[in-house]
Amino acid sequence: MLITTRKPLVRPLFAAILVAVLQTAFLGYMIESRASILRNGTDVLLKTVPIDPRDLLRGDYVILAYDISSIPADKVTGGYPTEATDARMSVRLEKQPDGFWIVSEAAFADLAPKTGTIVANTQPFYYYPTPDAPNAAIGVDYGIERYYVPEGEGLVLEEARNASALSVTARVDEEGRMQIRLIAVDGKPLYEEPLY
Amino acid sequence: MVNDDGGIPAIDRGVPECGPIVFRREIGLALGRKRGMDMYRGRIERDLSLWVSKGLLSAPAAEAMLAEYDGRESSFSVGRVLLTLAAILLSAAVLLLVAANWEALPRIARVVGIVTLIWTFYLSAALCLGRGLNGLGAALLVMGTLTFGGAIALVGQMYHLSGDAVDAMLVWFAAACVATIVFRSGALTVVSGFLSWAVFGVLVRENGISLEGNGIIYLLPLLCIAVIALVRYTGTSRARHLAYLLMLAWLGWVYLEITEPWLAGIYFAVGFVCFLASSLPSSPLFRFAREAGASPAFYAFLLAIIGLVALHIEMDGLGPDIAISAVTLAVSLAGIGIAGRMNGAVRYLGYAVFAGETLYLASETLGSILGTSGFFLISGVVVAAIAWIVIRLEKRLSGKPATGGI
Repeated sequence: MLITTRKPLVRPLFAAILVAVLQTAFLGYMIESRASILRNGTDVLLKTVPIDPRDLLRGDYVILAYDISSIPADKVTGGYPTEATDARMSVRLEKQPDGFWIVSEAAFADLAPKTGTIVANTQPFYYYPTPDAPNAAIGVDYGIERYYVPEGEGLVLEEARNASALSVTARVDEEGRMQIRLIAVDGKPLYEEPLY
Repeated sequence: MVNDDGGIPAIDRGVPECGPIVFRREIGLALGRKRGMDMYRGRIERDLSLWVSKGLLSAPAAEAMLAEYDGRESSFSVGRVLLTLAAILLSAAVLLLVAANWEALPRIARVVGIVTLIWTFYLSAALCLGRGLNGLGAALLVMGTLTFGGAIALVGQMYHLSGDAVDAMLVWFAAACVATIVFRSGALTVVSGFLSWAVFGVLVRENGISLEGNGIIYLLPLLCIAVIALVRYTGTSRARHLAYLLMLAWLGWVYLEITEPWLAGIYFAVGFVCFLASSLPSSPLFRFAREAGASPAFYAFLLAIIGLVALHIEMDGLGPDIAISAVTLAVSLAGIGIAGRMNGAVRYLGYAVFAGETLYLASETLGSILGTSGFFLISGVVVAAIAWIVIRLEKRLSGKPATGGI
């Protein structure tokens, strides 16, 4: 085995600063991309739905599912992709008299903005066409399906979620990205999210 | 590794007390204890004492040789290994402390804390490296890079980012690679190697066993190439195994996806061609592969064997079975014959395959007792004939003096 001491590429101090700056910048980007959604977005109140199997508390986060997570086939406009492909849906949300927002229209292409409605984009997913039996509903994610809670507090949220007493206020920015702003049980705020 | 003396230290074999023993006790054992027992060091020390006792080598020369080995940068050092392990434990402790304390501290304070840690680790590493404290510097680099991974997870948790675990792992791996390059650090090469495995693990877990979607897993060989490039750039030859093993694990995963005889055949063919390309002195790749030691030939040979094992499982019927068995025996002999002298790893794998295939052949039954008996007779004769060839081959290998060029 040949052993040589290799000369470093740059001086260690410069290397340290370069690496630390890059890593800090990435962490800052992660935090700011979320904060900008909360800062500029519009509120939508969402109803959560129970999840099967019920025990989905993993570590310290609660998995949330919403009634807008399931897109019924009759709301889909503009047709389906004909081949299996990476897809992303554009979902129009409309406010109901009870204050909750529901899906009024969804498409695999971008939807145009319309007053009184908000367009949210789903996370990318893989779509398989089923020509003989069209899907009754498509399950989608919005990037607000996970909520981390302090150790031991997850169970309260889980129970509320499974009793359909949990509501979530999310913010949607102009590009259709969502972040959780507030979690409430029976209408009473439980967790309110600061920007940073 | 079994050597001639069966691993028994010379001191237990009743060698009379004389100069060489004094040499071994004073220098050998003293250094051995101080430095820890690395396998190669143990063997070289034993051989040196033997040569000194036979008068082939003077005691001061042997002493100087050992001292040279111990003085090498990357020879095994218990202290350095413990330092790195301590670095890993400390990183874990810091991350858990920050994670557990999450109500007591405001979120932004936790972010500032972990970013400060990253800066502290890298800057202190730079200071240590600048002053020649390479072991401590490497440990601090490892801590900084592990802390960055923890920071990604922590920020993701604190801000409820449902982001992709694969993306997070890839960013972490990329950060480790960048740090490896700018610091030209061997320790970070090893960290990058392990992170490439972590990326693979997350990809397999996320995708389940499905061919469609998430094409990233098909780019995994690029990660292996990146790690090998880092290994060559930093000269951290031991980290090479991480990349080769990852490549084999990935090929194994692909085979689980597409369990077809043709793919097994390709594995065998590609593995054997690569083995020949890295072992035959006339090959244009020979010198390049040789720089990487025994690994390229060994892992290529292993891939060929994996292909053959898969073919054994896939193929049914007496004809194909016999053909594959014959090829397997021939390949094991070819491995021993071509690379066995210079490459202990290939040699032992060749022996193991030969023995395994023989047992497999011996356990094949042919339906009737008479048929089985006949098969045992034939296989006994054939195996005896092959054993004779192998013994001849072995004698030639050990009897011939080492040739000049490799």
